[in-house]
Amino acid sequence: MKLRTVTAALLALGFLSACNSEPGSLALNSKRPDIAPFMGADNGFMVKGWKPGDAKSWQEEINKRNQQQSEYIKIK
Amino acid sequence: MARMKFICDAERCIECNGCVTACKNDNEVPWGVNRRRVVTINDGVIGAEKSISVACMHCADAPCMAVCPVDCFYRTDEGVVLHDKDTCIGCAYCSYACPFGAPQFPSTGTFGLRGKMDKCTFCSGGPEANGSVAEFEKYGRNRLAEGKLPLCAEMCSTKALIGGDGDVIADIFRARVVKRQTAGKNAGADVFGWTTAYGQPDKAGAKAAPTGGKI
Repeated sequence: MKLRTVTAALLALGFLSACNSEPGSLALNSKRPDIAPFMGADNGFMVKGWKPGDAKSWQEEINKRNQQQSEYIKIK
Repeated sequence: MARMKFICDAERCIECNGCVTACKNDNEVPWGVNRRRVVTINDGVIGAEKSISVACMHCADAPCMAVCPVDCFYRTDEGVVLHDKDTCIGCAYCSYACPFGAPQFPSTGTFGLRGKMDKCTFCSGGPEANGSVAEFEKYGRNRLAEGKLPLCAEMCSTKALIGGDGDVIADIFRARVVKRQTAGKNAGADVFGWTTAYGQPDKAGAKAAPTGGKI
């Protein structure tokens, strides 16, 4: 009896494993290998004043340029 | 980390199309494709004419990404929505999904041939090496990697179009709105917002604004 139960359980497990499916997602590759902008560009048009490869330095440079778009700050 | 966004100030935009020209020139955008364009409403109506510069808004929950059958879109750590032209099949599903009409398709061949999708990259190129020739030919300049912001925003003569870290540009725009409201003028959403599309609540025929109550 016990052997029959165990066999049935193993068979059920085998059959049910076919019902598995991969987890679905709308954007499987939403993160791709793209080089981060703080790594800099090798084209001779880089702005001076920040260090390529240093995320903090890049962020500071971008923030500086961001603020230049506000003339209220410029005229202070 | 910055979340890159654009804002266009409808009170300042003078429909000069400088942003459109700068984008086309700097990125060498193909013929028939406009990554950015200026939309004008109430054209010629004195006091009611408003213009706004529109391109990809780099949505936080981008519908183009959701509908792409080959999953060619991806989002960078800076919140910029980019796509891989090597994967794109030019089906134009993204074009139907996008509420801003951002995805564009070059039509350079005969019989209405539709090429791979092209759109604003927030001047941050694509999957190829930063600043490389391959990246430039497919996606245009990578100004972010050069330590710059998108050219359309940086060269805007009236600073109507501002781009960059969402928190920072929201603060810049808020300061302008407060200044105008202090001077007793209409500003913010009163100028180009809900009421532009749906009318003033006190006017006949205006649709009721949602109350935000429980459904």
